[in-house]
Amino acid sequence: MRQLVYAALLAGGLAFAGQTGLPGGVIPVDGHAAPPLRLADLDGEAFDLTELRGRWVFVHFWASWCGPCRKEMPAIQRMSDSLRDSALAIVLVNTAETEDAVFSFLGIVAPALTTLMDSDGLVTEQWQPRGLPASFLVDPRGRVSYLALGGRPWDQDSYLDFLRALPGE
Amino acid sequence: MCSSAGTATSIASLCTVLLLLAGRPAHVHAGEPQVPLVFENDMFSAQLHPRSPRQVAGFYEARGFPKRALEALRGSCFLTVRMHNRSPTVVWLELHSWRFLAGTRELQRLSRSDWDSRWRRLVLPQANRSTFRWTLLPESRDLQADEPVGGNVTLPATDIPFAVEARFATGAQKQGPMRTMRIENVRCAKDDSP
Repeated sequence: MRQLVYAALLAGGLAFAGQTGLPGGVIPVDGHAAPPLRLADLDGEAFDLTELRGRWVFVHFWASWCGPCRKEMPAIQRMSDSLRDSALAIVLVNTAETEDAVFSFLGIVAPALTTLMDSDGLVTEQWQPRGLPASFLVDPRGRVSYLALGGRPWDQDSYLDFLRALPGE
Repeated sequence: MCSSAGTATSIASLCTVLLLLAGRPAHVHAGEPQVPLVFENDMFSAQLHPRSPRQVAGFYEARGFPKRALEALRGSCFLTVRMHNRSPTVVWLELHSWRFLAGTRELQRLSRSDWDSRWRRLVLPQANRSTFRWTLLPESRDLQADEPVGGNVTLPATDIPFAVEARFATGAQKQGPMRTMRIENVRCAKDDSP
């Protein structure tokens, strides 16, 4: 039943997307409170999503063994470069890999990006992604407002324009 | 009937065209040994790629899985499935409606809970369990328009060829027409397979 409700929300989201010109594969969701996201990054620096209240946050779950993740990561780096002056925060979360694996991958594919380390994968599971990669947009009040289906070309104009146009608080 | 071969993209494409022209769900038969197996109908496409024990163990070994887990993985049959909903409506992937038929005998799929039990017995680290779960095909997924999904389906290893048969509800409320998929002559890959 819960799945049917979710499907209905997604179907509604797709209809909404068609009406508003959301970029492909980006779907509005129900605005539930974002699950906890408190992790350390590759340098051991602690991060807590709640400290970014007041800003939109792009939360992206990935793993280096996942083909679509590898394909998408350079686009995320270019998106990050393009949005450097925007208020959007970009947060990457690696799912259940070692620091060595992550460091060697990001160092080659997206050296300007860093990532949080969900070393045991439990935080990722709390977010219930539909698969890897998975991207969510959390609004300034800490609510999950959009999700992206699979990997997306985030550096394309339609995606950048959408991200730049996210409303303020 | 169409056959498809891993190196014969043009044949697969031709089959796709013929099947679409036929305007009905396709039953793709594979000969000796042909991978990946391709299925396509008017709403979705699917590929099924048997993985050899060496491929499976190599993948997970590179992700830091311990030897005791690799042994368990080598003894199982891995089929990597990729699906893509090419329709404008929802297609429901539900593994409980998939059957693996060796003649009159039904092979039992290894579910997520089967693997969880196995990993508990082997005291597999949580990170490895998480990675493994993400590499499995979801048990259930309301595939949205243009949404792909991929992952492994697992069975106990067998030398017997079998058919994969599955049913898919369609529509956001499952109100649409049912679609079926049947892929014949699937074989678990061996280490000497190409």
